Amino acid sequence: MTRERLTRWLVAGPPFVFMVVFFVLPALIMVAASFRIPGEHGGLAPLHEHGAWQLTPETYAFFFSDFIYTEIFLKSFLVAALTTFLCILMAYPLALLITRVPKRFRDVMILLVVLPFASNFLIRVYAWMIILGPQGALSAAVNRVAGAFGLEPVALLFSPVAVVVGMVYVHLPFMVLPLYTNLEKHDPLLLDAAQDLGANAWQRFWRVTWSLSLPGVYAGSALVFIPVLGMFAVPDILGGTGDILIGNLIKEQFLGTRDWPFGSTLSIMLTLMVLASAALAMRLARRSLAHA
Amino acid sequence: MKNLLSAKDAKKREGKPKNTFWLLKNFFAPLRVLRGQMILTFLACLALSAQARDELHLYNWNNYISDATVARFEATCRCKVVQDYYSDNEEMLAKLAAGATGHDLIVPTGDAVESLIKSGQLRPLEKTKLPHLKNVDPAYLDTAFDPGNRYSVPYAYTITLIGYNVGKMRELKLPTDTWAVIFEPGYLKKLKGRVTVLDSQRELMAAALKYLGYSANDTDEAHWRRARDLIIRAKPYWAAFNASSYIKELTVGNIWLAHGYSNDMFQAQQDARLAGRPFTIAYATPKEGAVLALDSMVLHQSGPRPDLAHRFIDFMLEGKNSAELTNLIGSGNPNRDALQYIEPAIAANQAVFPPPAVQRRLEMLKDLDRNQRRVLSRMWTEIKVH
Repeated sequence: MTRERLTRWLVAGPPFVFMVVFFVLPALIMVAASFRIPGEHGGLAPLHEHGAWQLTPETYAFFFSDFIYTEIFLKSFLVAALTTFLCILMAYPLALLITRVPKRFRDVMILLVVLPFASNFLIRVYAWMIILGPQGALSAAVNRVAGAFGLEPVALLFSPVAVVVGMVYVHLPFMVLPLYTNLEKHDPLLLDAAQDLGANAWQRFWRVTWSLSLPGVYAGSALVFIPVLGMFAVPDILGGTGDILIGNLIKEQFLGTRDWPFGSTLSIMLTLMVLASAALAMRLARRSLAHA
Repeated sequence: MKNLLSAKDAKKREGKPKNTFWLLKNFFAPLRVLRGQMILTFLACLALSAQARDELHLYNWNNYISDATVARFEATCRCKVVQDYYSDNEEMLAKLAAGATGHDLIVPTGDAVESLIKSGQLRPLEKTKLPHLKNVDPAYLDTAFDPGNRYSVPYAYTITLIGYNVGKMRELKLPTDTWAVIFEPGYLKKLKGRVTVLDSQRELMAAALKYLGYSANDTDEAHWRRARDLIIRAKPYWAAFNASSYIKELTVGNIWLAHGYSNDMFQAQQDARLAGRPFTIAYATPKEGAVLALDSMVLHQSGPRPDLAHRFIDFMLEGKNSAELTNLIGSGNPNRDALQYIEPAIAANQAVFPPPAVQRRLEMLKDLDRNQRRVLSRMWTEIKVH
């Protein structure tokens, strides 16, 4: 009994400590910072000054005093949801294909999926600047098609489209991998059984494969949705004049504006949103498991 | 022993009102002693290593000193220059605010110098160690951010102006000497999607304020709102808010007009020429006036080698060394002795060395207080959200 307990602590302890030190404590520091006053020259004003505690909930009032902040949160949510949806759409067939090819090709294909990680994230995003740029072949082709339909030429780079393309590109492997691990475990006999029972191809996919893969879909969605919510580099590099997301707003508070309390408030809001999404994904995954 | 002392302290203090933290502090007193010893040992080690190696820690902008200059300084002082870089003042201030230490010398822009002085992070200069200070043009001394130059010595300056594709602007018959071309839809119609502006709240607001006839340092909210509305009206025609990639975009011909720094425009111009592009890049200071960013050398309190830092400052004040930077990146030079070493093409460039009439319209940005920063930040979000 005690040995079992010890093992349990040894296994669960380090991640637990890690979470406390690198998530709970910083989050608490942020909560404290959000109630403080920005320093005159950046940083935070002294906690105790002029004989009183310098704490105020004004950053929260400031957040809700203007709809623009809520609007940016909603927009980020939409971008994250769209990115996740596109990732599922593109990753699912790929993951399915990988499980169906002969074993010796599988490892190579998985390697190809993770290969982009070998080069730096920023370099890959900068590469998209060249691909989408007005001098690029892609842009020329798109505009030739648009021109044939009598449409005005469109700019691909510095647009919301570019932001979503960049987001999907960067996060696609995070969707493929959990989907693949899930799909790989499916017993092919289940599909034969469904066919014997008279299910057509679509029914076999939808009622067997898709239903069984839902935990993988939820895991992949969490891995894509959550990082996209906080991403600031992609909109910075590929976005146009109206494409800022929460990440950019938070970065701006800590750098350009040097307003740590408000930056902390925004970060807390984001953390709450992320936790809520993660909880939702977990519940969905559990429920679908229970059904299966 | 120390424990006993703090216990005695405790008795002495009993009469006084109790601070909540006091108990805690006393509880950790033994630890504090230990920490003191550790710090002492650490400092001793540091002193030893400093003696063993003479190193000057320079915290500078990216590409803001010539390698040849560094090599010559290392040869004369028989020391090593260890460089660390930042790409904007905010980044540097944020790093220092987060507790970065050990930099002997930093090269911030005026408003950042002001902020560093007011937060007590700088070490006063010893002028006797800087005989070449006399080389600096008095126009760049005794600035509002550091009266009497107690802490800072001018290093170089940039002007925030407009850079453009000469052929395109001529073809479209657009003016290149006014902010109107950045802000007026009448002009912008012809440039839709071919313009970028700086991704900096202060710089873009300053340009708009200047165009409206106000000071770049105007803090009247009504004026800010007018500037914000001007920016929002022009925004649909701009391609992006951009901090650095406009150099490349100008060079390859994707962007025809950019709001940016004179150094960057110099680089774009050179790159376009070296790449053999069929067009040329030029840049000019708008007639309404612009922001002048004077970067100055300052000593950080945490720097272990103020002696080397002083030597470095004086070395950089020698005309030849100072000119090397201007020849490399086309930065403005506040050093009168440097002019003779500067390439004639750069020395004649009015966007690098503005004539007196333009010089009078240039302004250095002043630091904003925390409330102003918050108000401006909200306006900036309003500008960027749609």
